[in-house]
Amino acid sequence: MLLEVESLDVRYGRTHAVKALSFGVAQDECITVLGSNGAGKTSLLRALQGLTPSSGGRVIFNGEDITKLSPPQRLRRRLSLVPEGRQIAISLTVHENLQMGAYCRSDSDVARDINGIYERFPNLGARRDMQASVLSGGEQQMLAIGRTLLARPRLIMLDEPSLGLSPLLVERLFELITSLHLEGLAILLVEQNTQMALEVASRGIVMELGRATLTGAAHDLQNNEQLAAAYFGHSSH
Amino acid sequence: MAAAADVTFQRNILIKAAFGSAALIALALAVFLGGHVIAQQIISGLMLGAIYLIVAVAFTLTIGVLNFLNFTIPSLFMLTGMIAWALLKSGLLSFSGSWSWLIALFGGVVVATVASLLVERFTYRYFKAKHGDATEHAIPLVSSLGFLLIFENLVILAFGSESQRFPVPFKADLHLFGLVIGIPQIVSLVSALIVVAALSYVLKQTKIGRALRTIAENPEIASLLGVEVTQVVPVLFLLTGMLCGLAAALFTVNYGDVSPFMGDNIGTKAIAGMVLGGIGSIWGAIIGGLIVGLTETMSVHFLGGDSVEMVIWGLLLIVIIVAPRGLFGHAALGKGKL
Repeated sequence: MLLEVESLDVRYGRTHAVKALSFGVAQDECITVLGSNGAGKTSLLRALQGLTPSSGGRVIFNGEDITKLSPPQRLRRRLSLVPEGRQIAISLTVHENLQMGAYCRSDSDVARDINGIYERFPNLGARRDMQASVLSGGEQQMLAIGRTLLARPRLIMLDEPSLGLSPLLVERLFELITSLHLEGLAILLVEQNTQMALEVASRGIVMELGRATLTGAAHDLQNNEQLAAAYFGHSSH
Repeated sequence: MAAAADVTFQRNILIKAAFGSAALIALALAVFLGGHVIAQQIISGLMLGAIYLIVAVAFTLTIGVLNFLNFTIPSLFMLTGMIAWALLKSGLLSFSGSWSWLIALFGGVVVATVASLLVERFTYRYFKAKHGDATEHAIPLVSSLGFLLIFENLVILAFGSESQRFPVPFKADLHLFGLVIGIPQIVSLVSALIVVAALSYVLKQTKIGRALRTIAENPEIASLLGVEVTQVVPVLFLLTGMLCGLAAALFTVNYGDVSPFMGDNIGTKAIAGMVLGGIGSIWGAIIGGLIVGLTETMSVHFLGGDSVEMVIWGLLLIVIIVAPRGLFGHAALGKGKL
C-alpha cells in the first residue's frame, strides 16, 4: 500500500470529525470518499496532509510513518492535496502560481515541467502573465491541479474538485482525473458528484458522521441503497 | 462583478492621478513662488521622507504578510542609534581610526536586527506555535508594544535619557544651482531608492519573494505548496531589523544626534506615511513616506515648528476620509496585499 491509514481520529474542539478510520490506497489506485456534508471527508484529507493535527491513529505513506510531519514535509515525500475551493494565490500571476507549485524542488527540470503544464492546459499558457484572479472557475481548478502536479506527487488528494463547475467542465475534469490515474498517479477523491466519482474510481468509501459505514468496489456502490441513505440521512431506516 | 471591479479600479486610478498631479502642481507652484528657499525645503523634505519611507516599508511588510502591526519598529530604530553611539564612546573601535563612526553604525544595525529576531521568537512565533492561526491579532501587537517599552527603558537605564552627539565626518556640502545639498542627504535618498528597488526585486523575482507573497495571501496555501511558514517568517523580521537599522543610521548621519526617544517620532510619522499611501502596499509606503517628509518641512517653513503634527495628521484624516484605503490601498483590508 502507498498510503495506509490506521484508526485515524480527528477532533476540532468538541467535534469528533473522523472516528477510528482505517483504509489504504495502493500505488495505482483511484479511491473516492463519499458522504454528505459534515461526514468528515474534508477533515480526513486535511489530517492526511497535516493541515489539521490528528488526535489518534497513524498515517503511513510509502512505508514511512508521517503522522507527525508538517504539510511541506509530506509534500516532499510526494503526498499532495488540492484543497476545496481551488485555493490559488490570486495576487500572483498564473506563471508565479506554477513556480510556487515547484517550490519544494531544486532540480533543473522545473522550467520544462511548467511548459508541460502549459501544453496540457493551453488556457493557462495563454494567460501566463496575468493575475490568477482573472481566471474563470474552471481555469482556476486547472491551475490548482497543474500547480500540485509540479511537486511531482505520487498520491494526489482532491477535495470536491467539481464544486461550482458547469456540467461540461465537470466532464472535462473527470477526464483529467482519469488520465492522471492512467499516467500512474494514485488518487484519493472526495466528491459530492457521486455518480461521476464512482465512474472514475475503482473503490469507494462512504463516510457518515466520521465513520466509514460502507466500502466496496465502485460498480457495486453505484446502485447501493445504503449509499443513498448516507446522503439523505437515517430517516429511511 | 468584473464590471464593478473595473469601475472601482478606474476610480482608484483617477483618485491617484488627482493626488499625484495636485502634489506636482503644489511643488511646482511652491518652487515658482518661493524660489531657492522652497527648493531647499523640498530637498530637506525628500531627505526626511527617505528615512520615513524606509521605516514605513518595514511597517507595511509585516502588516502585508502577517497582518501584524509591529510596534517594536521605533525601538529597533532607536537601538541602532544608541548602540552605535555607545560603541563609539566605549573606545572599542579606536583601532578603525576615522572610519569608526561607520563601524559603530554597522554594529548598531546588527544589534537591531538581532533584537528584531528576538521579537519574532517571543511575540509572533510563540503565540502562533501555541495557538495557531486562531491567535487574536491583538496579542502579538500588545506584546510587541511591551518590547518597545522594555527596549527603550533598558537603553535609558544603561545610558541615561539625554540625547547624545554622534560625530559625523561630513563637512563639505555640494552646491548645485545655488542650492546647498549635504552629502548625508544624498546618501539617504540614494540608499532609500536602492533599498526599495532591491526589495521590489526580491518580492517579484525570487523564490523567497513569491513565498512571502503567497503567505501574505494565505499561509495555508503556502504550506500546501511546500513553504515551511515558520521558517520564512523570521526572514521578514530580519528584513524589518535591517530596514530600521539602515533608516536609523541615515538619520544619525544626517542629524548627528541620538536619544532613547529618537524612534518615537519617526515611528508615528512612518505609520502616518504608510496609512496615507495605503496599508500593506510597498509603493504606498514609499509615496506616503515622501509626502509626510515634504509636508513636515513645508509646514515648519510656512507655519512654524508647532504646526507639524497638526498638518500631518490633519492631512492623513482628509486622505482617509476621501480615500479610506489610502492612495495605493487594495480592495481587501487585512492581509495579502504586497
